[in-house]
Amino acid sequence: MPNFLVLLLGEIKRLQRYNIMTASVVVALLWIGVLYLTEIPDITFIFPMLIYVDSTSMAILLVGVTIFFEKQEGSLHTLLVTPINKKDYLLNKSVVTVATSIVTLVILYLYAAIFKEIDMSFTGLLGAVILVSLFHSLVGFLLTYRSRDFTALLINMMKYMFIFMIPTLLEYIRIIQHDLVEMILYLAPTKAAIILLYAAAGETELWEIIYALTYLGVGSIVLFMVVLKKFEQFAVQESGV
Amino acid sequence: MFQVKDVTYRYPKNREDTIKGITFDIRQGEIFGLLGPSGVGKSTTQKIMVKLLSGYQGEIYYRGKELKGYDKEYYQEIGVGFEVPVHFSKLTAEENINFFRKLYRNQANTDAMMKRLGIFDARNKKVDQFSKGMKIRLNFVRAVLNNPAVLFLDEPTIGLDPSNARILKTMIKEYRDYGGTVLLSTHLMNDVDELCDRVAFMVDGQIAEIDTPQNLKLKHGEKKVEVEYNEHDAGDRPSKRASFELETINRNEEFFKLMRTKKIITMHSKETTLDDIFIKITGVEKHA
Repeated sequence: MPNFLVLLLGEIKRLQRYNIMTASVVVALLWIGVLYLTEIPDITFIFPMLIYVDSTSMAILLVGVTIFFEKQEGSLHTLLVTPINKKDYLLNKSVVTVATSIVTLVILYLYAAIFKEIDMSFTGLLGAVILVSLFHSLVGFLLTYRSRDFTALLINMMKYMFIFMIPTLLEYIRIIQHDLVEMILYLAPTKAAIILLYAAAGETELWEIIYALTYLGVGSIVLFMVVLKKFEQFAVQESGV
Repeated sequence: MFQVKDVTYRYPKNREDTIKGITFDIRQGEIFGLLGPSGVGKSTTQKIMVKLLSGYQGEIYYRGKELKGYDKEYYQEIGVGFEVPVHFSKLTAEENINFFRKLYRNQANTDAMMKRLGIFDARNKKVDQFSKGMKIRLNFVRAVLNNPAVLFLDEPTIGLDPSNARILKTMIKEYRDYGGTVLLSTHLMNDVDELCDRVAFMVDGQIAEIDTPQNLKLKHGEKKVEVEYNEHDAGDRPSKRASFELETINRNEEFFKLMRTKKIITMHSKETTLDDIFIKITGVEKHA
């Protein structure tokens, strides 16, 4: 069996055993609770917002949680001296994170389609979730590298939320209305993320979709290279030095 | 197996080299002990040799090829045993072993090893239910599950009871007898005495001395025989002591006279211990 597959199956098994998968489903049920409490029958506007929060913050958290478990238990030490490829190790975590985001999307979309009204392309949402979650899993690596422990990771994630996620959300729902802020937010990956998610409703301009796809696509490639390069440094640090 | 030539290493944030030009070799089929107080560079040396640290100066050859020339395939050939537990605690021992085993081409009979180390019956328990000693034994199984050609062991018997430590040491010796090479890092001089074919003492990032434990004892010990004795009518508590040069003892009349006329309580050659040599060479109390 190729090592990538061994790692992938191992990662999935650990997600179950460490109850991370359960936590992820519980979060999805919480989102369902939010949708249930929404009295508007057509949730096309609110739905991408929930997916946006989930596929950005949960992606960062999931990567951080799994790495911190491995750090805490010392299993990361032993993984570093096995014949696995660094790329395989990193990609594995990203793939599992994206898969978890997809599970949340499926659960929420099924609920929305059965109990509410939603006018969004599932395929469009799926593509957006894959790209947004992949990008943010890589952000998760970078934040984890910079965090001494899980609390520090949460603080770093909060910073990311305050700088990128929340302003983007506030601007999108028109609470912040300022041309300059709007322009500046195009620099934020979260802006590209929200554009791509809302594009599944079919009302987004083409240039915006191209911008978002390019930002998150090229960004993911660049970010992956940075994550890969910095992993060496992280590994040395985690080997007890 | 390994030739380490004039290797120096400095951590990126440090001003001073941690490893300052060390040179030694490790032969195939030997247990080589790397000894020294904490912070002298033993772990750094091991980390360089298991390719966790790169960017060193000097040369390291493994099987005649520069270590830098090996990729991840190198890990197919080596096993690394850690002092601290390194397993997924929510998985069972067997799930842990199976996960790691699948990453290697060579796969040892881990069931037999677990049976021998007394953890086979607990193989379906989650590792977080294991005692410290069981985790250490599982670490060893993890280190050798790929039938490695070289085994790097860091304090392999710390935390084990004497009987399990004995089993583990026997397994390490058997591994060596079948041609395996071991780099052992430990503070337990009994283990060194029992296991190591050669040892290197490290002091301040340098190799201070390399030799067999026996030669070190001869070199640093006193070649004397010490006798504790009593007058014949006294009890068994020695009251007097005499010391004789070992080299001339066979023609030392005073020694023979003492043997004939006194009640000998104890008689020892004054061979030094590795503990004493450790302190003498490194200048540090071992458990300080």
